[in-house]
Amino acid sequence: MLRSCAARLRTLGAVPGPARRSFSSEKATQKDYSLPNPSWTKDIRLLYDQFMKKCEDGSWKRLPSYKYTKFVEEQTPKAQIFTRSLEEGLGFEYVMFHNEAEKRVVCVFQGGPHLQGNHGYVHGGAIATMIDITAGTCAVLTGGYAMTANLNINFRRPIPLCSVVVINSQIDKIEGRKYFISCDIRSVDEKTLYSEATSLFIKLDPNKA
Amino acid sequence: MIRRGVQAIARLGHPGALPGASCVLPRLDLASAFASSTDNLISRFCLQKTDLKDYALPNASWCPDMLSLYQEFLEKTKSGGWIKLPSFKSNRDHIQGLKLPSGLAVTSDKGDWRIFTRCIPAEGQGYEYVIFFHPSEKKSVCLFQPGPYLEGAPGFAHGGSLAAIMDETFSKTAYLAGEGLFTLSLSIRFKNLIPLGSLAVLNVEVEKIEDQKLYMSCVTQSRDQQIVYAKSSGVFLQLQLEEESLQ
Repeated sequence: MLRSCAARLRTLGAVPGPARRSFSSEKATQKDYSLPNPSWTKDIRLLYDQFMKKCEDGSWKRLPSYKYTKFVEEQTPKAQIFTRSLEEGLGFEYVMFHNEAEKRVVCVFQGGPHLQGNHGYVHGGAIATMIDITAGTCAVLTGGYAMTANLNINFRRPIPLCSVVVINSQIDKIEGRKYFISCDIRSVDEKTLYSEATSLFIKLDPNKA
Repeated sequence: MIRRGVQAIARLGHPGALPGASCVLPRLDLASAFASSTDNLISRFCLQKTDLKDYALPNASWCPDMLSLYQEFLEKTKSGGWIKLPSFKSNRDHIQGLKLPSGLAVTSDKGDWRIFTRCIPAEGQGYEYVIFFHPSEKKSVCLFQPGPYLEGAPGFAHGGSLAAIMDETFSKTAYLAGEGLFTLSLSIRFKNLIPLGSLAVLNVEVEKIEDQKLYMSCVTQSRDQQIVYAKSSGVFLQLQLEEESLQ
């Protein structure tokens, strides 16, 4: 499977590697969605400010987030990155911070009313999506373009809609092209554990046919 | 639609003869709402009301594969024990008159809640899906077509969007098969990428129900079953909804 995907990406001109990811400066003209906007509650703003302070000494970096991937020249018409496809405040409001030395990515996430599952709680699938992209970002920043192979999530407590949570992801181990990443989702004060997850990402090998 | 509903009421004496496309059944009285039988759950879930928009109906964005498989299952709803589940904008519309148990219920004045898998209403841009449920065999089939707003890897559906459809199909199956309400765990093994705009078929089965938990498995594959996109399993917690108090 991954071979055919790699082949397709090569055909389209996308070579995996840090230089061609969506975080590069080519995106300067696109809107960066990982910045405060009117829909952000005070909880997420507070966390954002705290992390921005940590960025000052260079150990942490805020990751920009765009709507369109520019990996490839021919893009699927009208395609948008999934988590940026909803209107401000209604869907996924999030910002990620990366600590390169510790191989960690922290995502501060506020789930809006259009992510509903049961009344008043965030849909399990939306939570799975956030875990997938946070852990995935961790993998990609460490080793280049990677794809999700396995995702195992334990939901401990439901996450109320419009609340703010902190998703911590870190690389547990690397075996060749396999990245084992674990993730947990906690409340802002860290007292409530909402979910725990383990995942496996496979780094694409550009040389395999 | 209303005419079919009236005919359905007339045929109520026949247990297997559920109506075709619209799953319209008369509301049972409140006393029976506490019973956990599948028939009761289905009748409250599939409302008789017709002013709510059902998103699980064909539209111009559906690819030919999805349309023809939909027709096949629609035929089966007439005789084979399958039911097409309606899909409303919010889960609250599916369980009117019921609420989460106190302690879990969240009160809020926010009105514009929308179920995640219907968050992108523009036809064909996000999730296009329909779920068929088989009450006696406790299994479901979901026809899923991801649109361009669900992109992950260029040209393919985001893993998270498939996780959401799996969770959603597990969720509806768990609820109708045994009042499963909250996801306890979700385990997904991704095998192949799903091209945007193509059909993926999810087959969900309830493996067992024990200790207040429903265990389900799912295989997501192409229509001809030649490509397996993913295999997953889900565990849901059984919890009865409560009647909303009449004031």
